Amino acid sequence: MAMAAVGIAGGALAPLLAPRRRGAVSFRRAASAAVVVRASYEAGVGVMATKVGMMTYFDPATGKPVPVTVVGFRDGGNVVTQVKTAATDGYDAVQVGYHGVREEKLTRPELGHLGKAGAPPLRHLQEFRLTAVDAFEPGQELDFAELFKEGDLVDVSGNSIGKGFQGGIKRHNFKRGLMTHGSKSHRQLGSIGAGTTPGRVYKGKKMPGRMGGTNTKIRKLKIVKIDNDLRVLMIKGAVPGKPGNLLRIAPAKIVGKNIPKN
Amino acid sequence: MASAAATAAVSGVVLPHSLLSHRSSPPHIVALASSFRRLSLCASPRRTTHLVARADASAEAGEPEAEAEPVSASADAEAGEAEGAVAVAEAEEQPPPSKLKVKFGEIIGILNKQFIEEAEKVKTVPDLRPGDIIELRMQRPNKRRLSLFKGIIIAKHKAGVHTTIRVRRIIAGVGVEITFPVYSPRIKEITVIRHKKVRRAKLYYLKHKLPRFSTFK
Repeated sequence: MAMAAVGIAGGALAPLLAPRRRGAVSFRRAASAAVVVRASYEAGVGVMATKVGMMTYFDPATGKPVPVTVVGFRDGGNVVTQVKTAATDGYDAVQVGYHGVREEKLTRPELGHLGKAGAPPLRHLQEFRLTAVDAFEPGQELDFAELFKEGDLVDVSGNSIGKGFQGGIKRHNFKRGLMTHGSKSHRQLGSIGAGTTPGRVYKGKKMPGRMGGTNTKIRKLKIVKIDNDLRVLMIKGAVPGKPGNLLRIAPAKIVGKNIPKN
Repeated sequence: MASAAATAAVSGVVLPHSLLSHRSSPPHIVALASSFRRLSLCASPRRTTHLVARADASAEAGEPEAEAEPVSASADAEAGEAEGAVAVAEAEEQPPPSKLKVKFGEIIGILNKQFIEEAEKVKTVPDLRPGDIIELRMQRPNKRRLSLFKGIIIAKHKAGVHTTIRVRRIIAGVGVEITFPVYSPRIKEITVIRHKKVRRAKLYYLKHKLPRFSTFK
């Protein structure tokens, strides 16, 4: 009875739990409470990459200059390190490793995990949750030139540049007060709430705080060029982080096109 | 050495990690005269001996695995491409692991040079300096003939393939300054007509001078 109560409570909480890994936990509880798990899927398997820099690319069709981010791939490539299935792990996902390093840099548990898949020592591991993982096997190398072609739209996510503790104007695009005309408030927040009712400040009120340094995803960026000699991808626009930053590139999730329906 | 590396590359994905991490070092031996490559060549002897020993040891181990391994054609094609690619690009791209930034830092320079070379094939870009009075022919969209723009270069911003020049001229009594990306495919021709001696890199003072200093027939 206690178990059933816990199961129902777990099931009720399932929609509120956002990250995929917690989805696995609620799946076990949901099995006893029969609640549907909501989860976020990728539109396709992606790759990890490193931001190299930005430059201009003249589009040969129109002659217009296009700002592009050059994205490179480190040695070791993108290797499938684990394939998770609903039977074994409770959900379908492909775990991809990136950035080959020397053996000494990894711990033995990590090396063992990679060795089981027959993968070289890789530093970063990330999962791509999919609806169907039949096409993947551990040890398979993912070639970005096959997964993406020029003109594709991709979502790029990575750690954004940290800006430190920032005020409302920079952090939340607030407007500043008058600089002259007797104004005493230039960059302050202004009012943070109403009066006696509600008599408090709402949660989530935009206030100064730490800005940046978080995982940010830029959606629907176009791949302008794929250079196979230099093993480089050129993406239109800017991506999070500075050169050297780890990026996660996945096919763009476009509602109505390739978002898998639950 | 090269053959061992080739076998290593061809044997596919499942390799001992030590071998895979050194897969890229063979081009070091092929390294040529650039200073950057000299740097990598200095640091490589330590790593290449590793490669020799391990390549020989695991070449046999690698090959039987190749047949059993369900390697997709892409991995082989990719390895073949990597081997067949210009040794220049490869050597510049993969330096010793202690200098990770430099590895990618070369790529932008290489790409810029590539694009400039491609642009140079279409038109020759002369040496442009501030103070040059130039004539520029460009292709406008939806217009058949090339448009002409004349003027004096008052600034040049060097940025690889996006090097721009700012050209000034008085047109119908109004001063006009246009910034042109020199290597744009839309600019078909640039010729230097005259040169005005100037003692500055940026001639913004011409904006405040008399119009006749910016007038060119």
